Amino acid sequence: MSAIFPFTSLSGDQRELGLVVAVLLGFAFGFVLERAGFGRADKLAAQFYLRDLTVFKVMFSAIVTAMLGVVLASGLGLVDLKPLSEGAVSTTYVWSMMIGGVLLGVGFIISGYCPGTSAVSAASGNLDGVFTFVGVILGSMVYAEAYPVLGKLYGLGDQGQLFLYDVLKVPAPVLAIAVTLMALGMFVGGEKLEKLMARRRGAEAPVAVTERRPRRLAFSVLGATGLVTLATLALPTSPAAAPSPAAVASIGQERLARRVLDEPWTLRILDVRARKTCEASRIPGAECAPLATVGELGLPYAAGERDLVLVASNTLAKVPDAARGYHGNVYVLKGGFSGWRDYALKRPTPPAATASAAEKEAYMFRSALNSAMTGRKPPPPPAAGAVKYVPRPKKKKGGGCG
Amino acid sequence: MDRQQIVTPAATARALKFWNPYLAGVALGLVLLAAFLVTGSGLGASGAANRMGAAAVNAVAPAHADATPQLAKLKASSHSILDDRLVFMVLGVVLGGAVAAYTAGRMGRKVIKGPRMKSSRTRLVLALTGGVIMGVAARLSLGCTSGQALSGGALLSVGSWIFMFSVFGGGYGMAYFVRRQWT
Repeated sequence: MSAIFPFTSLSGDQRELGLVVAVLLGFAFGFVLERAGFGRADKLAAQFYLRDLTVFKVMFSAIVTAMLGVVLASGLGLVDLKPLSEGAVSTTYVWSMMIGGVLLGVGFIISGYCPGTSAVSAASGNLDGVFTFVGVILGSMVYAEAYPVLGKLYGLGDQGQLFLYDVLKVPAPVLAIAVTLMALGMFVGGEKLEKLMARRRGAEAPVAVTERRPRRLAFSVLGATGLVTLATLALPTSPAAAPSPAAVASIGQERLARRVLDEPWTLRILDVRARKTCEASRIPGAECAPLATVGELGLPYAAGERDLVLVASNTLAKVPDAARGYHGNVYVLKGGFSGWRDYALKRPTPPAATASAAEKEAYMFRSALNSAMTGRKPPPPPAAGAVKYVPRPKKKKGGGCG
Repeated sequence: MDRQQIVTPAATARALKFWNPYLAGVALGLVLLAAFLVTGSGLGASGAANRMGAAAVNAVAPAHADATPQLAKLKASSHSILDDRLVFMVLGVVLGGAVAAYTAGRMGRKVIKGPRMKSSRTRLVLALTGGVIMGVAARLSLGCTSGQALSGGALLSVGSWIFMFSVFGGGYGMAYFVRRQWT
């Protein structure tokens, strides 16, 4: 399932409907923020004096809920995690985001709001909220006007779109449960801190700390959803159940050679070595596609009915990202092209006469392959082991003029 | 502006009764999840402020807007600068916030400030200043706490998590210097 109202492709009536949906989502967003207490600067600012960690609790509960929802939906095959995420998140600019984050935190504690909550505050009649939101508008214009200077801070540390599960090389559900457990742990620790700080001030702890039932409810819902999400790893439909980048499916030389001879139409072989090397010598039917250009082949959009085989000079350690999106099977040739050279292009040595039938069959295949690949006369058939060599009796020499 | 509202303690207590933070968080997460599944993108706020500013500049000085690349970019992207989902979303945020505040008895013209702060004017100057800083910051980091930290954070984007921790870092670092405002 893809998004029902993808804004980028909306036009005409659908676009209007999409904008109505945006208003409705905004309505729910603003309503919840207000009811959480985010329309009041004193409540938000208390976060930074460790008196009331509501900001932290609401924010992380929300992140964990939405994260589990998306990862669970993807585990059940309802949405594709990667395309959805790539459509919804921005590029990672490590340094710009660090600078912007620190600045935003500074502005947050000075004004008492973040941009979204200032709109909620303004809506509930708070003049400080109005001033903050107007400030955000002015700040955006300051940025636009001072872009020749401030723009130097933009786009620093470009990592493209980067996701934590790719950096840590774990399946998304595993990371999701780890984030959930971390958040729950931090909630418990945070409440201890709130109590401690309240006792020091000689004040009462925030109300939320004394409310046990809603906390237990929220924790058990999040914990249970986390476990269900983790369990989707076991589903065969789960994209995460596919081999992780660490465990690349590989195909052996003999298996590939047999398929090249018997059923080449089931294969799509990509030779990812340098173009010149590939053009000089390659596996029959292989396309020369140096690693850097694999992305140009549009593999994620190919039908995927053929098995994709990637050939490097040796065993390819990591399937390139561009090939991982391929819908069919993806294999890496074990030993790479150097393995192929040894297996298919060198003349095989005939097995000993005592070799098993399987070994002999393998030799027969290799010699046929070698002859087909090199055009040379096939090597001699293996000696028939069961037949004992009996020298023919010598003819007697001599006698007559013969 | 310094008009004091006369309120009873019971009314104050009622007006300060908020949802449990964890349940509010789960509710917020479900709204965010709905945004992801239905629209393919998350929630946002600062992008709307940017477009509102650009629209205002464009209304007053269209030639200047054309000459400023960051504003001209917004003009080119749609037939009206304000014709954008985030502008409509913030419109919804204002409506939703107003309904929630009104139904909870929290609606009313006031200035919220810390216990020690006397002057509403100082408070409003600080609010505006903080807002300007955040406006610049949100452009630098391609989003604010809604679009970047919350939405990107839920999708486990590395940049969003860096941003989120930096926001907390900046807030805690600066808190000491403005403590007279809040404590």
